[in-house]
Amino acid sequence: MGLRRRRRLTPYLLLVPGLAWLVVFYLLPSLNQLYVSLQEGNFETGYTFQWAWSTYSDAISTYDEQFLRSLRYAATATVLAFVISFPLAYFVAFKAGRFRNLLLLLIIVPFFTSYLMRTVAWQTILSDNAFVADRLRDVGLLDEDGRLLATTTAVIAGITYNFLPFMALPLYVALEKIDRRLIEAATDLYASRWQAFRRVTLPLALPGIFAGTLLTFIPAVGDFVNAQILGTSRQYMIGNVIQSKFLVVTDYPAAAALSFLLMAALLLCVFVYARVLGARNLQEAAL
Amino acid sequence: MKRPVRDWLLGLWSVAALVYLFIPIVVVAAFSFNDPAGRFNLEWAGFTLEHWQRPFAVEGLGTAFRNSLLIAAISTALAVLLGTFMALALVRYRFVGRGPTDFFVFLPLATPEVVLGAALLGLFITMGVATGFVTVVIAHTMFNVAYVVVTIKARLQGMDTHLEEAAADLGANEWTAFRKVTLPLIAPGLAAAALLSFALSVDDFVITNFTAGQTSTFPLFIYGAARQGVPPQVNVLATILLLAVLGLMALNVLAQRRRARADGAAVEPARIAVQPGLAQ
Amino acid sequence: MPGESFESALERLLTERRHDRRRFVGRAGSAALGASALGAFLSACGGAEGQGGGDSETAAREAAGDHPKEQFDEVVFSNWPLYIDKKVLKEFRAEQGARVKYIEDINDNQEFFGKVRQPLERGDGIGRDLVALTDWMAGRWIRLNYVEPLDKKNIPNERNLRDNLRNVSFDRGRRFSLPWQSGMTAIGYDSKQTGGEVTSIEQFFDPKYKGKVTMLSDAREAASMVMLMQGVRPDEAKIDDVLKAIEFVDEQNRKGQIRKFTGNDYTGDLTRGNIAMAQAYSGDVIQLTADNPNLRFSIPEQGAILWSDNMMIPQKPRTAYGAEVFMNYVYDPQVAARIAAYVNYVTPVKGTQDILAERDPKLAEDPLIFPSSQDVSRLSGYPNLSVEEEQQMNEAFEQVVGA
Repeated sequence: MGLRRRRRLTPYLLLVPGLAWLVVFYLLPSLNQLYVSLQEGNFETGYTFQWAWSTYSDAISTYDEQFLRSLRYAATATVLAFVISFPLAYFVAFKAGRFRNLLLLLIIVPFFTSYLMRTVAWQTILSDNAFVADRLRDVGLLDEDGRLLATTTAVIAGITYNFLPFMALPLYVALEKIDRRLIEAATDLYASRWQAFRRVTLPLALPGIFAGTLLTFIPAVGDFVNAQILGTSRQYMIGNVIQSKFLVVTDYPAAAALSFLLMAALLLCVFVYARVLGARNLQEAAL
Repeated sequence: MKRPVRDWLLGLWSVAALVYLFIPIVVVAAFSFNDPAGRFNLEWAGFTLEHWQRPFAVEGLGTAFRNSLLIAAISTALAVLLGTFMALALVRYRFVGRGPTDFFVFLPLATPEVVLGAALLGLFITMGVATGFVTVVIAHTMFNVAYVVVTIKARLQGMDTHLEEAAADLGANEWTAFRKVTLPLIAPGLAAAALLSFALSVDDFVITNFTAGQTSTFPLFIYGAARQGVPPQVNVLATILLLAVLGLMALNVLAQRRRARADGAAVEPARIAVQPGLAQ
Repeated sequence: MPGESFESALERLLTERRHDRRRFVGRAGSAALGASALGAFLSACGGAEGQGGGDSETAAREAAGDHPKEQFDEVVFSNWPLYIDKKVLKEFRAEQGARVKYIEDINDNQEFFGKVRQPLERGDGIGRDLVALTDWMAGRWIRLNYVEPLDKKNIPNERNLRDNLRNVSFDRGRRFSLPWQSGMTAIGYDSKQTGGEVTSIEQFFDPKYKGKVTMLSDAREAASMVMLMQGVRPDEAKIDDVLKAIEFVDEQNRKGQIRKFTGNDYTGDLTRGNIAMAQAYSGDVIQLTADNPNLRFSIPEQGAILWSDNMMIPQKPRTAYGAEVFMNYVYDPQVAARIAAYVNYVTPVKGTQDILAERDPKLAEDPLIFPSSQDVSRLSGYPNLSVEEEQQMNEAFEQVVGA
């Protein structure tokens, strides 16, 4: 075998083990969802394959509320996360000076504390008679008998909190890459600071914004821990339904149908994004 | 020079955002010192160091924690091995199917965890595979591979290929060139990817909950205990984990600095420290 | 009905049995209606037991377990959290030279079932020698043949089982199960927030407490409490009564009266004062008073639910004998008294009250641990439903809780 031939085979040899893993444990399960979702039966007798498309119409008509709610909560949380983290990322990238590394570290630290523990901690913080709720009542932002915990606000705040670094870090990377001379050039050419920001900084930060929104939005749509710990059944999202159908009620076909729908919807989003941006850009932006 | 007002506002906003990020972590750490009055660690009742002295006093917690560390170690090792090769292929070679593969590898990151977990459990049920330790390792390796590929790819893309070419010109074969040139250069990326995988695996709840069967892990233990008020020992372990990861990150940065100093090259510790988070 | 004669109560019990496969507390409760004191209550049920012996059909169909004496060094027991005094496990080890691997991983009957269902279906063991499941779920396991019959020769202390629990509908003659603890589901409340005693379920739905009450996320529990309020005995309820009750829960939930549907996690909201009342389990609330002394448990005038969690040996255990030795151990009244003193639930073991009376008179007089005859007469079991009806109920309730 000549060297040239070997070189041509090399990339495939390198790819095969990892790719096989992903095909068997990502692609195959995804397709299998479709198979499971078309089964019929009940929890005592078991399920058999039936081409039961009705599972899908049932799933949509029964849980459209949770579907829409998930999209709404995730979108709100994504916007909030952007509003909170853009100034933060901007500050770290351009103004933090020698504190830059420290600040970056501080943004990452929450990643390394148990996600569940942090959410449970919010439960303590937002309690009806705890400090935060009391102060809000003092200043009249919360009714006398109003509450923070077990509300939509708590759930969205929790989601925003949990996925904030997913937004802040891509933003930071995109901003940090910007050549400052470009901004200087703009101001030299008599652009106001705002104009320079809008015409130069923002467009150059776009890849980061796209990556950040996607990386926040996707996990947020599928989240169920926040709704469960900080919310009530009135805040349950599609993740709660899938989780409960699969693990508690053990209605596998319904669970698989919902999960397949969710995946299809999100992949569609990603595809559209990828078309607009190009998949490579997306990944580069994420880094 | 006087700093403009908007810089101060920006700084203030950033501090507020960081406080928001840190409040729950402070609460988690604080409750590790709580001395509950009854059997529930729900209200602050008093200060004690007892739980720090005996963090595994709760039955089942030790096993769960050990399982988590083992699963994280195995899945990290597998993912780094598989992922590094994939990243090399995707960055260093032009071949048919490269674009679609690139996109495919990215997909697990664009799928919500609940879907990944449900899909895997569905597969295991269909195939009659018993869920447990092994299935959790399989699941964690799956999502970790995706993260590793993305992290290492970034490292490779930013790298000068001249050195590798030089090595090849000097007669080194591919393997030697990889071992002597590429590997040392991407080592910090590998470390970052490994750290990221490990942290993701140790903290994963959703996918684990679907694939663990009766195997207990640290997050699953927390989830079960949360309904009764998480025992303070769990807060202790969560805090220890955080400190350990911070320590490892600091080590990675220091190693970088030292090497950079030896090379006389410019350092960019921020990037290295941040890399784990960025890939997400 | 308290005026009903003993004979008519017994007669009613016998006629009930024919169309009822899975209940036991229900019958215990009905029998209690005919009795005026716990003593009479027990003897009445003792009478029922005699009749149960005639249930030869079931007895003949399946053989009893036969687990000869063997060496074992570990018994794996899955139970609910905070459900044992861990010292009991240490003492068992000292006495028997075998360790109990005690796993607190049952937080919800359904969820646990979902977790171990696959191996059970395949006919495999689940790595546990003992599990403790609530009546209806215990009934499901027995029906599906997921459990080992007990070898009573290894459990001589079984004679200490309270008579009223001896012959339950889901397990005639207790061939597969032994109660771990019994308890009541009713209202736990924060007396500081309610400003007084809670005596009626109506108070739970008082708009004054809008957003300040939680209900259990188990369809059975939620529906049963509402049915009690609506004057329907849950263990005599038809599926329509259940569905009607669920509709009421839905209404209240939409109005925002119900803050949340919870599992065991109502404990957090109750302790922190986030809620005024919770549909709660008796023992939990007694335990919680250590953290919040304002908490009380009320058996409302309309009644409450009485249930048991039952120890069973899942199929293919590593040591059925070991499991039985442990069951025997906890049925020693001395040990049972210890557990009762810690968990504060209703003990199924006879003779514990006398022992506790010496050790801790206050506990021995606690009506939540040793319910008074008056309270017992107000207790009912869960609704008895067929598999289809159960599914109907679950589906209706899923609509309410949205998952």
